[in-house]
Amino acid sequence: MPKLAFFVAALFVPAFSFAVTVGQSAPDFALIGTDGKPAKLSDFKGKHVVLEWVNPGCPYVRKHYDSNNMQALQKDAAGKEVVWLAVNSTNPTHADFLKPADMASWMSKSGGAPKATLMDQDGKVGKLYSAKTTPQMYIVDPKGQLVYNGAIDDKRSANPEDVKTSKNFVRLALAETLAGKAVTTAATTPYGCSVKY
Amino acid sequence: MELVQPSWVYSIMKLIVKLVVALLLVLAHTGSFALSASGKSDHVTATLLAESTQATPGMAFTAAVRLSMAPHWHTYWQNPGDSGLATTIGWTLPEGFKAGPIQWPAPRRLALGTPPNQLVNFGYEGEVLLLTEITPPASFTGAAMLQAKVEWLECKDVCIPGAASLGLALPNASAAAAAIQAAKAALPQAWAGGAQGKADEANALLALLPDAKAAAVIGPAARIDFFPLEEGKIESNAPQKLERFEQGLMLTLARAKQPVGEFTRLQGLVVAATAQGQPIWSALVNAPLQTQALPPLGKLVSSTVQRDGTGLGAAMPPVGGAPLGLFAALGLALLGGLILNLMPCVFPVLSLKVLSFAQLGGGARARSHGLVFAAGIVLSFLALAGVLVALRAGGSEIGWGFQLQSPAVIAALAALFFVLALNLAGVFEFAFGAVDANAQPASLRSAFGNGVLAVVAASPCTAPFMGAALGYAITQSIGEALAVFAALGVGMALPYVLLAWFPGWAARLPRPGAWMVRFKQFLAFPLFATVVWLVWVLGVQVGVDGAAWLLLALTVLGIAAWAWGISQTSALKKSAWRASSAIALGVALWLGFLAQAISEAPVGAALGASATESAVWQAYTATRAEELVATGKPVFIDFTAAWCVSCQVNKKAVLGTRAIEAAFAAKNVTLMRADWTRRDPEIARALHALGRSGVPVYVLYRPNQAPLLLPELLTSGIVLDALKTLN
Repeated sequence: MPKLAFFVAALFVPAFSFAVTVGQSAPDFALIGTDGKPAKLSDFKGKHVVLEWVNPGCPYVRKHYDSNNMQALQKDAAGKEVVWLAVNSTNPTHADFLKPADMASWMSKSGGAPKATLMDQDGKVGKLYSAKTTPQMYIVDPKGQLVYNGAIDDKRSANPEDVKTSKNFVRLALAETLAGKAVTTAATTPYGCSVKY
Repeated sequence: MELVQPSWVYSIMKLIVKLVVALLLVLAHTGSFALSASGKSDHVTATLLAESTQATPGMAFTAAVRLSMAPHWHTYWQNPGDSGLATTIGWTLPEGFKAGPIQWPAPRRLALGTPPNQLVNFGYEGEVLLLTEITPPASFTGAAMLQAKVEWLECKDVCIPGAASLGLALPNASAAAAAIQAAKAALPQAWAGGAQGKADEANALLALLPDAKAAAVIGPAARIDFFPLEEGKIESNAPQKLERFEQGLMLTLARAKQPVGEFTRLQGLVVAATAQGQPIWSALVNAPLQTQALPPLGKLVSSTVQRDGTGLGAAMPPVGGAPLGLFAALGLALLGGLILNLMPCVFPVLSLKVLSFAQLGGGARARSHGLVFAAGIVLSFLALAGVLVALRAGGSEIGWGFQLQSPAVIAALAALFFVLALNLAGVFEFAFGAVDANAQPASLRSAFGNGVLAVVAASPCTAPFMGAALGYAITQSIGEALAVFAALGVGMALPYVLLAWFPGWAARLPRPGAWMVRFKQFLAFPLFATVVWLVWVLGVQVGVDGAAWLLLALTVLGIAAWAWGISQTSALKKSAWRASSAIALGVALWLGFLAQAISEAPVGAALGASATESAVWQAYTATRAEELVATGKPVFIDFTAAWCVSCQVNKKAVLGTRAIEAAFAAKNVTLMRADWTRRDPEIARALHALGRSGVPVYVLYRPNQAPLLLPELLTSGIVLDALKTLN
């Protein structure tokens, strides 16, 4: 019965029907943060927004947190008035699922500095954005347009050592869009674990 | 009258020790350090192989990294699809050596979750050989060390990065020529026919004009999938529409929602596969996207949207029906245990138990006997379940009845039943000195021992209702599995506990008397029949020579028992008779060892007599069954074993009858027999996929319908009704 209900709901939610593509406007969404506060994408209109799909159970996510790569990027972005939203779309039935409090404590323990860590337990926003892997990164510009969609960098591995020698697509795209320039590499293939919908 | 026998308690102890040793061996094996040519992670074993034992200067040869994955775990193709990561091999080779790129075999689609939330990856399950061409320099002296650092991502519903550093010395003693040549032959070919692509807003169309060779493979294949080499062009998780025309094919592929890079061509593998996605044949296509019209393909013959199954690489379509809950499984196990009492292999042992109750009469003694007997049954079931669960945890693919797949255990059981039968027939008495059974009050220890014996005797008979319950038990946590087995034991012991508890019931049993001696002697014959059956099982397992050695051992065992019996009854020369008995026992043991030595020699498939004895039944192989199901043919599989009595009954009384064979033939059903008399991981896997852990299992695969599981006890009516459901 819940399956059927979900199926019927899926018919009405434009989950996979609208593509989120670079150059088009990023669809609005509202989610509750691990701190219990709601957050809406349209609240940040006029600012650059980074969306980071995260799952602490994924070795590729850990690669970028264990090497401090993700946290450094988050702090950098915060210093430039960029809003960083980490989204966790893990299904509560999956072994990787963390309750909001646990997710919050993981984020603070790892020294992460997103503006908010958002819980997307039913995967609605993940599917809205066609997020396929953790990590997967999106950048929305002040006009609400998607300017980057894809991988965090070009070294597809789970080895934290590779962070030093990799080309960080998000850092490059942020620098360009903050300078008012078009993003050179605006779409890449994300790599990592599948999002645990 | 009671059957307390140190000898058979000892036999069972030996059996248990054997099982524990086997368990330790399995554990030691999995935990041991890998050789340099192979390395492993939690779910993948990587092995470096070479085509030949030596390399020739300047001559290229093929090396392979074999990845063997645990069931349901997978690794990835060069384009991993929606998530995942391609396996990499970093070579460290001596000066002047060159290594080519990985030659990837055709992958399969691996679906995660259910639509519309499905992600699809491209990769491998089971085993894959990743080939690399290695060229030694002209100055090569003949000795060299090849080193490969292999890194992969192994995933089921979670993903774990794995790595292994492998080394292989040249020249080496063992080459994997056959495996590597087979892998080479299965590599994708170049597409020899015409291919043209065209893209609109949403889709990319791939028109294919196969040459005669490709057409011959593609025509009958259940699926034709396109695997893009380039990422960010095609949506991996979108079902591909396949249209077959008179002269060619058209695949409609959904364009990537978030394209990456310029889309100028459709480059990738066209893979002909079974309905379950197992690749049969593949070719590399490079079709430029053109604006002109696609070539004419003739009349449309068929059109299908090729959807992905749910779950990971389910080899066969799932069988319908809700999975059992714990309480249902406990209930079924209880009922199954009750019915077990009526099975031919248990009946004689338990008749004796009933007799002993008649002897005890009633009261506290009978009660404590009943309870201890029940404890013997329940604890034995728990011990068996514990060994089964531990062995499975150690990676063995086994199920209920596993203890009968070892010829040594069969031989030991035959000897045990033979000695018991001789005892019942009155050839000798177990009690040292005391001959009159009625004079000797039965001990509690013997009651416990009888419980253990009942379970040992019962194990060949998977009673009706037990299949589903045991299948459930195997897939659950250890606690739940043990609970189900305990319920089975309680069910089996229940009648005796009740009998002991309510003296009124016991009073209805006939009074003890001289008739009991005759009845006891009579019960020897069902036991002899059991011995005949066990010898037959051993014959099926190891051949007629092994069976003959066993019979010889039993004969000498008979001499020993006879001599012992004389020593018990004759007042004269007791010691001489005892000595000859001991000598005969020694000879019997020695013959037993011989029988076992033969039984442990490698055996060929030819010995599977029960699988090959009928012309209309084919021996089961997973690939063949999958192929048939994939091509839409009905298939009936009989999962059986020589040691499974209910299997034999069904075979003789129902499946083997002319009427049923004719009914199968009329519906064009392919009949397959999966003979599990000896251990067979492939059959264990198939049983597991059906949610069962033991035989018998009967399943009818029907085209365009869910497969049908038939009950464990067949009647002609059941089979005919099942056949009526075929379109």
